[in-house]
Amino acid sequence: MNGDLRVVVVGSGRVGLRVTRLLDARGHDVVMVERNPDRVERVLDAYVATVIEGDATHPSVLEQVDLDRADVVATMTDTMGTNLSVALLAQRLAPDVRTVMRVVDGNIEEYEDYADALVFPERAGATAAINAVLGGDVRTVENLPGELEIIEMTVSEGAPVAGKTLQEVSLPRGSLVVSGAAGHAVAASDTRLEPGHGYLVAVENEVADEVTRLFRG
Amino acid sequence: MSHGEREPAAELGLLDATMIGMGAMIGAGIFVLTGLAAELSGPAAILVFALNGAVTAFTGLSYAELASAIPKSGGGYAFVREIFDDLPSFVMGWMLWFAYMIAGGLYALGFAPNFLELLHVYGYVPPPGEVGAVALPLLPAIPATVALAFGAVLVLVLVNAVSTAASGSVETIFTIVKVSILVIFVAFGFLSAGGGGETSFTFQNFDPLFTGDGGALSILPAMGLTFIAFEGYDLITTVTEEVKNPRENIPKAIFASLAVTVVVYLLVVTVAIGTLGAEGLAAAGEAGIAEAATSFMPKGLPVIQNGGAVIVFGAVFSTITALNAVVIASSRVAFSMGREGQLLPRFGHIHHRFGTPFLAILGSALVMLGSVVLPTKSAGNMSSLFFLLSFIVVNGALIKLRRERPDMRRPYEVPYYPVTPVLAIGLNLLLTVVLVEYLFRTDLLALALSIGWIVLGVVGYYALERRPEVATGDAGPPEPTPSDPEDD
Repeated sequence: MNGDLRVVVVGSGRVGLRVTRLLDARGHDVVMVERNPDRVERVLDAYVATVIEGDATHPSVLEQVDLDRADVVATMTDTMGTNLSVALLAQRLAPDVRTVMRVVDGNIEEYEDYADALVFPERAGATAAINAVLGGDVRTVENLPGELEIIEMTVSEGAPVAGKTLQEVSLPRGSLVVSGAAGHAVAASDTRLEPGHGYLVAVENEVADEVTRLFRG
Repeated sequence: MSHGEREPAAELGLLDATMIGMGAMIGAGIFVLTGLAAELSGPAAILVFALNGAVTAFTGLSYAELASAIPKSGGGYAFVREIFDDLPSFVMGWMLWFAYMIAGGLYALGFAPNFLELLHVYGYVPPPGEVGAVALPLLPAIPATVALAFGAVLVLVLVNAVSTAASGSVETIFTIVKVSILVIFVAFGFLSAGGGGETSFTFQNFDPLFTGDGGALSILPAMGLTFIAFEGYDLITTVTEEVKNPRENIPKAIFASLAVTVVVYLLVVTVAIGTLGAEGLAAAGEAGIAEAATSFMPKGLPVIQNGGAVIVFGAVFSTITALNAVVIASSRVAFSMGREGQLLPRFGHIHHRFGTPFLAILGSALVMLGSVVLPTKSAGNMSSLFFLLSFIVVNGALIKLRRERPDMRRPYEVPYYPVTPVLAIGLNLLLTVVLVEYLFRTDLLALALSIGWIVLGVVGYYALERRPEVATGDAGPPEPTPSDPEDD
């Protein structure tokens, strides 16, 4: 299935808000849970998610996100105790929901059984820091400045662009297919977008949604 | 650059958002529906529009609260989808989709006679009532108005299918043109007072106010019939994600567009009845305002020759831009439903070259094209009925959300909750009942088609539900991405 996801993001600190913005830019629905009133205002200003104001470790609060309809719960606060309780609570309230937990401290391995996926933003941050420390004119791009991202996108079966050459499709301004299916050549106008294959695509934030829809249906 | 590109959608300011709402409301309704309202309730048509404005304002409050809290561009359907189960939200989208499509038929039907009137003003064709049918070989003769309406829908659908919607600034200019023309109409109408001509403005035309048998109650059916006049603010909520500073600007745009529109309607209807009289207005039908204008506007001007031509042009322009707006609105509803798996998923796809919800537009076009053979009145009746029904559901969604998600943050909150939404439901329900009763007596065709549409939808819903790949309704887990979510 290629439909839009309904994602619950808990915590709207630096990581949570960034995740929410990116999800919204790609056309997914986000429900945010945040207990700090000042941060709530910030999310409302960004207009990227519906916001439940409260402590997500309280079942009465977490239930208000309508877990039965959610596809993923991503708990992104900077407090390990909160993340762990929310992940466990979510699994208890809605066994089918996929859980993604941010690991703040401790060994990443020790949490493996308590969420479907773990993320450790500090590790990704360290990679970026190494790139900067080592310097040089050429480096692996992970974090691009501003609103530009390079995304690897797999073409879904039946998606609008599936089986078409780049010549036949017209992508919105602010997007560019960088590589061909095998990943070892730069895309050209006769590059065919084969279903099931992944392509590197450079997208600006404001058209990420449209490009995702073209590739994923 | 090896492949073609398109521009992304523009950002809309408060003015643009307000103008989108006004553009749809000050469109066909003012030209097409005033005649119908005058026919049913005489000079009290003025009260019909005033009260309809008041009734719809209550629902406008609910729209403002929902749109400020739910950042999704899908209009009423998106809000209802947020809180109701699959079947109720499907029925909501299905009704709203139909309401817009039939409104498209209505606007096309309003465009045709006004276009003929414009040609008539310049002497190209006889008066609209006397234009014969278009005779085509092999086909039965088609009335000129139906052919024109069909053609107008076809052209706008094709334009929208192959290019992304006109930007907000174009819509703003369109709306300013429309309002300016109506201001000219109103000004000359009042100036004609005391002129002694047959169509000079006089308050005698408002006496007696109530001409129907039922006295003041006779305005209720007319209210139900013309309810569609003020549906345009719903359109603002279908583009919310493109609005700047949305938590403040969307509620403001809803209120501002509604307030200005009601004032414009009241002035125009006052002048139309004051000059032409309710009976004359009713007799002129869809081209009522245009005919009234031709009679009292100055003649013998350079280039445009006839002052009335300005107003007739306004009518043509307004109906065609309103038609454009509902082509977009209806396809957005179908697109949203396709995304949610509530219509065939293909409706939720954008075209690989045009970047438009191609199938959603074509699907909407089919019903719209079919609806231009309906009598104008039936189209108005059905569209109003479905807007009334869907507004009831929207207010219900507001109440359900408040109860089930008390901690959800709502940047704008409806005042005097729960009185306001309950009152909105009550008033909309009253008009629905009156309208259905009226249809039962006078327009069984519209009633039958309306019921048929809902039955068709529910049957289709269960058929789609049984398709294996959409049976779950929800998407599976996302593809794993190669990199971790990035740090700040």
